[in-house]
Amino acid sequence: MLIKPAADIKSSEITSHSAYLNRRKFMQQSGVALAAMGLASTAGALESHSGRSPKFGPDWLKHQVAGALDTPFGKDEKLTPYRDVTSYNNFYEFGTGKDEPARNAGALITDPWSITIEGECEKQGTFNLEDILKSMPLEERIYRLRCVEAWSMVIPWIGFPLAELIKRFKPLSTAKYVEFTTLEAPKQMIGQRSRFSTIDWPYVEALRIDEAMNPLTLMAVGLYGEILPKQNGAPIRLVVPWKYGFKSIKSIVKIRFTETPPINTWQAIAPKEYGFYANVNPEVSHPRWSQAKERRLPSGLFSVNRIPTQMFNGYGEQVAHLYKGMDLRKSF
Amino acid sequence: MPVFARRCLVFIALFSPFAYMLAQVVALQMGDYEILGPEPGKAIVWFTGEWAFNILLLTLAIGPARQWLSWKWPLAHRRMLGLFVMFYATLHLLSYMAFLLAWQWQDIGSELVERPYLTLGFLAWLLLIPLSITSTKGWQRRLKRKWKSMHKLIYLIAILCAVHYLLQIRSNWFDPSLYAFITLVLLGQRFSLAKFKGFFVRST
Repeated sequence: MLIKPAADIKSSEITSHSAYLNRRKFMQQSGVALAAMGLASTAGALESHSGRSPKFGPDWLKHQVAGALDTPFGKDEKLTPYRDVTSYNNFYEFGTGKDEPARNAGALITDPWSITIEGECEKQGTFNLEDILKSMPLEERIYRLRCVEAWSMVIPWIGFPLAELIKRFKPLSTAKYVEFTTLEAPKQMIGQRSRFSTIDWPYVEALRIDEAMNPLTLMAVGLYGEILPKQNGAPIRLVVPWKYGFKSIKSIVKIRFTETPPINTWQAIAPKEYGFYANVNPEVSHPRWSQAKERRLPSGLFSVNRIPTQMFNGYGEQVAHLYKGMDLRKSF
Repeated sequence: MPVFARRCLVFIALFSPFAYMLAQVVALQMGDYEILGPEPGKAIVWFTGEWAFNILLLTLAIGPARQWLSWKWPLAHRRMLGLFVMFYATLHLLSYMAFLLAWQWQDIGSELVERPYLTLGFLAWLLLIPLSITSTKGWQRRLKRKWKSMHKLIYLIAILCAVHYLLQIRSNWFDPSLYAFITLVLLGQRFSLAKFKGFFVRST
């Protein structure tokens, strides 16, 4: 055959996302130099020395995303290109095809946005997202994302630890679980108008409170130096990197603290296939496919990027203690 | 239209999905990275599977078309349609093994055994082999009346394919249900007619 396997990925595509990191590195170094000269004190300098300048989204958030702090998380990982991260999504509110959210999510209104806090906590109520984020320092973390469908990506998120948010609402000692709810708005979300879906909207996900308070658990408002695109769960979503992707619920409008374990959407549809925990575990197969390996995207046609899946998606050091003494075959 | 010209047209029609796919693969390898998305292998597995099923349903529709529409001309193309089912089904299986499991034989073996939807799909492909081999006029002559009953295996294959698809439902159940429904309608036509005829013959 004349076809060359090496040409699977355009060389321009490879440079475009490595350019993101190079630019960032250069800007940080020059930022340090500027700071040393005492020149980096204005907001404009902050924006330029982080190397980020978000191109879309509400203005009030642009400045904050641009100023997100760097962290060592995932520094050695090879990023999945921005185009793939934002065009290959499971967000059934906008259709079940992977390319549908990118096409249909434009109708979602993400600003203004408010989140309702309910249940076992001292400070209940409905809060404006702008007010919530105002005093919240943002940071960038590169995390692996492992989908239950056996593909995976590496994504530079911008957000803040969920624990920082939870502390503000002062959960009571009876708050054993945290339940999250996605927006239900059939007028904006075409998938919610479908008659052929098994999902009982709105989409619900939940964590145990200690999972929610774990320092790895992130609330994301941006990725790749941009404000979170709508198909990726704008304006605010959960990112739990040691669990399958469907746990990382998108476009959150409600957070509820409960004493009894909530039932998650997928758990309700197919309890034999999806448990409450959904921790990444290569030893426990989904009944319809093996979880031992994953296709790290982008994956070429003749150079399939198939790699072994790691326990807890490689975050065992940070989270394995949460499940001490549990049979993870039963609590899957 | 002479039969030969019609055969050529049918061949072109059935070959064109493959040509379309091939053009996409070539474009991908030439660097048009976006054409099949970040998981091109999966896109091809789905595409070939859907076309195998589409043509299988067309094959099954030839009988009812004669009954309901008095169309006789498609009969002359049934063999070609059947062989194209085999063609796309084989591509479907090969692309699954090559693009999704990267020829890791151990995984291929365990997946085919452990996942019921894969077992059924594979079984359907296996059953297509004897039908493809005996599709020639020579075999038709040699097997005589047995040929006809043997080729009724296609009904079982269609049911296996419908279940293979239904078992993969996650949220959207429309497409798999539509295929299963069409399969049932096309098969139902045969069985109800056969039963009716049998009843009629016995009672007189």
